[in-house]
Amino acid sequence: MSRTDPAVTVSRGLPVFMGRMLAGVPLLGWLLGFLVAVLIEQAVGEPLAQLVSLPKMPVLFGILTVSKVIAAIINTVFKDAAFDPAILIHVPAAIAYLTVVYLAPIVVVARISANIANRAAGAMNRWNLLLPAIVHLGLMYVVLHIWAGMSDYRLITLKITLIAVLLTLSLNIINGYMGEFSCSHPGFMAVGAYMSSLFTVGLFVDDRVLGNALMACSLDFLSFPLALIFGGICASAAALLVAIPSFKTRGDYLAIISLAFLFIIKSLFENLQALGGSRGIAGQPDWATLPVIFIVVGLGIWSINNFVTSTFGKALNAVRDDELAAEAMTVNTRKAKMTAFLVGAFWAGVAGGLLAHVLRYINPAMFGIQKLAEVLAMVYFGGLNSVYGSIVGAVSIGLLGEALRPLEILKWIIIPLLLILVMIYRPTGLVAFRDFDLREAMGPKTEPGQRK
Amino acid sequence: MSLNFFMQNLINALQWGSFYALIALGYSMVYSILMLFNFAHGDIFMVGAYIGLGVALLLLKIVGTGTAALVPGWLVLVATILISMFLTAFVGIIVERVAYRPLRDAPRASAAITGLMVGIILETSNILFLGGQRLAFPQLIQSQTYNIGGIFITNKKIMIVIVSIALMTALHQFVTRTRWGMAMRAMAYDFVVVPLVGVPLNTIAVMTFAIGSALAAAAGILFGLAYPVLDPYMGVSFGWKAFVAAILGGRGSIMGACIAGFMLGFIEIMTVPGIQILNRLFSLNIGSNLRDLIAYSIVLVILVFRPHGLFGEPYSAKLRL
Amino acid sequence: MRKGRLLIAVLLCAGLVISPSVWAASDTINIGFPIPLTGDNPDLGASSKNAAEMYLKKFPTVEVGAKTYKLNFIYEDNEFKAESAVKAVTKLITEEEVLAIVGPQASAQAVPAGEVANNYATPMISPWSTNPNATLNRPYVFRGCFLDPFQGPVAANFVTDELGAKKAAVLYDIASDYPKGLAEFFKQAFEKIHGPGSVVAFESFTTGDKDFSAQMANIVASGADVLFTPQYYSEVPLIVRAAQENGFTKPIMGSDSWGSGDLMGLCGDDCKGFYFSTHYAAAGAQGATKEFIDEYNAAYGKTPDDVAALTWDSLGIMIQAIRNTGGLSGDIKADRTKVKDALGAIKDYPGITGKMTFTPEGDPIKCAVVVKINEEGQFAFHKSVCP
Repeated sequence: MSRTDPAVTVSRGLPVFMGRMLAGVPLLGWLLGFLVAVLIEQAVGEPLAQLVSLPKMPVLFGILTVSKVIAAIINTVFKDAAFDPAILIHVPAAIAYLTVVYLAPIVVVARISANIANRAAGAMNRWNLLLPAIVHLGLMYVVLHIWAGMSDYRLITLKITLIAVLLTLSLNIINGYMGEFSCSHPGFMAVGAYMSSLFTVGLFVDDRVLGNALMACSLDFLSFPLALIFGGICASAAALLVAIPSFKTRGDYLAIISLAFLFIIKSLFENLQALGGSRGIAGQPDWATLPVIFIVVGLGIWSINNFVTSTFGKALNAVRDDELAAEAMTVNTRKAKMTAFLVGAFWAGVAGGLLAHVLRYINPAMFGIQKLAEVLAMVYFGGLNSVYGSIVGAVSIGLLGEALRPLEILKWIIIPLLLILVMIYRPTGLVAFRDFDLREAMGPKTEPGQRK
Repeated sequence: MSLNFFMQNLINALQWGSFYALIALGYSMVYSILMLFNFAHGDIFMVGAYIGLGVALLLLKIVGTGTAALVPGWLVLVATILISMFLTAFVGIIVERVAYRPLRDAPRASAAITGLMVGIILETSNILFLGGQRLAFPQLIQSQTYNIGGIFITNKKIMIVIVSIALMTALHQFVTRTRWGMAMRAMAYDFVVVPLVGVPLNTIAVMTFAIGSALAAAAGILFGLAYPVLDPYMGVSFGWKAFVAAILGGRGSIMGACIAGFMLGFIEIMTVPGIQILNRLFSLNIGSNLRDLIAYSIVLVILVFRPHGLFGEPYSAKLRL
Repeated sequence: MRKGRLLIAVLLCAGLVISPSVWAASDTINIGFPIPLTGDNPDLGASSKNAAEMYLKKFPTVEVGAKTYKLNFIYEDNEFKAESAVKAVTKLITEEEVLAIVGPQASAQAVPAGEVANNYATPMISPWSTNPNATLNRPYVFRGCFLDPFQGPVAANFVTDELGAKKAAVLYDIASDYPKGLAEFFKQAFEKIHGPGSVVAFESFTTGDKDFSAQMANIVASGADVLFTPQYYSEVPLIVRAAQENGFTKPIMGSDSWGSGDLMGLCGDDCKGFYFSTHYAAAGAQGATKEFIDEYNAAYGKTPDDVAALTWDSLGIMIQAIRNTGGLSGDIKADRTKVKDALGAIKDYPGITGKMTFTPEGDPIKCAVVVKINEEGQFAFHKSVCP
């Protein structure tokens, strides 16, 4: 849309006009818009919600409120539940709230600040990459922090969604970039979750299963990165079990090797009484706070992006497209496969470690077939071979899962249907095969029709 | 460790393996011909069992039960199996039409995801319409236990094994002896070129799904007879394990899928007494709980030595992207 | 377009005037139910919801102090997943502003959910969770059922005294929290009576397994006098049948998870004559228990299972605690703590599953009942065991 020639397009209607208006807004501008929006919500969200007769501030952009109304209607129609017509008002109210608090401020601020933001982004981009990265990430964190600070339900949803992003991205390395169909990811996650819990609970917490704390000091939370890395490395080591057979087997056979691996890992943890067996481990220290998760996930995205855009990443693509040809073109396919599995498993393990410390409880049943279906859905929904895609997939499915909660069981018909539709109309996912170029993402945007 | 004990387990494994084999067949056919992972297949098995339950209850209502019955139980059973196979075939055809045909040219993994999602929809619809509770499958034939020298065999076990082997043989005959079967084999050999010489791809695909689903329905009813508790998620673990069996058998090999199905059943059942033997021999203390771990480690080892499955030929598979 | 906008504006104004939810909020007490409505065990959620709805229909209001409050139950699906349970409980506490929580049922959800409830100082009763970690060091978390360390010995003593067993076999699901815990406590208790090695077969399987013939062949070969199988009612028929088909003719003993109205429908005649330990005996029940069973039967067409009965009692004791606070201040945080204190102070609450008093840990002290499945397929009272 942004590339169309203004002489050809005679802008008619709001959407086209908006599209053209906002095409020149850089990421910095959007972030500023969001910042203003969350500040507005923090300042006047609650009274505003009262004003438009919502019982409480809409917690997930009003979608939850709307699906609650739909659920009420369904209950009335099918289960003869009492219907309170006053609840209907919540739909326009939620839309009004969304417009006043989010849409309008974001659009206005983004547009107004576009010029300055473009200039600032341009100036920063001329330095090295570190400065704009820190500024953008810092701003993003502030936005998320304020947004999540308004409700703890938002906080937990955000935390779990961020972890899902990391997990999805790590699976995308193997399934998207390398083109295998690996089913072992929940297994890697389980190894990471167990090992990092073993590290933190075993060393620092008194526990029924793992015994008394071996060490205890006031700064023990500083060891959390070590725990995560330990979990990640153990997951990588476990991944060797899948990576080595993958030298000889490809595609479908690798799929069942990885599936067998998942069954084995789950069975192993169920039987390891030293790690709590099927009862799992509880009482992980509460160290996975939002900043920690944000930094770890940010690091994960950054390093995975670097990995897949490097020659290694290209080698993976070559293996996916044609293994023999890749071998002939001097790609060391063994090394490429091995690295992909090790890197993917490492970050999956880290994601598992984070999840264990967010929920502060793990058991083997968490890392079964169900989890596998969930991660696969996120990867393929968002888009193969794409960092953007993984972010989009994990965030949209994560948020959808929460927002459709009031529909109860119907949720599990709507989400799969949606996925089937996406698969039919965009078989490689929503944002597949899109490179994630940091410099471009954070750089200034040109107005449509304006020369660079 | 007596011979009796071994034989008892062998018979149990035969019954258990026949379910895997029947379900793996459906998987294997779709996989061989369309190169798809039909992840909805386990849930089609579930749907088949529920359809069988409905048909059986209906038939029992018509002909009556017990001594007042108009026809013997085995006749009701045969009718139930045939009618449900017929009905479930349509479920398979619908699934193919909705979830797989639009994705014929898409990456294979995308079709796998739609299959997964269709499975979730089938499970959820089941809960939605029938409620969460388990349902009992009616006992169409009276269970009888024979004690042959300390080995306990029931008439149902014998019947299940015989019916499944008969179905497999019928399928084998169909695939090797008929024109349609030849078309299917040709399609399995190359589904890009073969349609060019006039073999209708869509008809073959529909047929494949119909036959696979009908077999799953038969498996579902036999399963209901042997383990008469149906629940909406009964197809999930079966589906994934039959998937392992289907691929383990090797691409394009229907007999391979059968044998791998039986083998998986054997491995799963035999691990339990196997562990006991080990415990006795080496005075260890391993529990039977390590079954999954050991069974799938064996699968892993097999694949390391036969990377293309038991009866598959080496080929370079890749996801079409 | 313009008309649409006008409509919205009118609706908004109307909403301002009506909005009864805003005015009514202070007169309702919200209670949250994070239960599995979907996921692997939807019948668990269905039973809990049935019991709760029945309670609401019977007692739509509660009098606290001098004020009458309307009860409002909010059901939140935990999908039988730990992650979802944490989110659901957080949502109930922070968004729906519930005064108290009843649920989740299974330990895999109750343990992480209890952590959240305790952190937000919200009283929570898990009616069905038997994992010690659920209430451990969590003053705000309680449970509605007796624990495995009590039930295990009850079963072990029963098979010794009444069935004269000297060698026992156990068959249980290793991947599931509850059967595994109970199986181990039974083994411990039985071997304490008969000496080490008296549990001659300790066989297990994995959740979702349908075939138990291999394990049963081992059990038959071990020559056990009795089989103890603390499995869910949906697996019992398969286990009993596998026992018959493999020639196991000795008695079978179960645990409270057998006690479902669906058991006999699934099992038919095969289960008759066996025993299990549970919370109450449905056949020959009296007083409130009978009333509950009859009402449940009338409403849903089946005998309530243990989940429904325990949910009913947990809900009842929670409402009793709310009543005992003697008046709510309207400050939800202070009220939650008041409810928790009242809950801990309740003595001998007359529940339908027996009298309940909480230990400081939040676990109830209550009696177990051993029932026999009689020839009519009813769960008949056989023996009562109190701690």
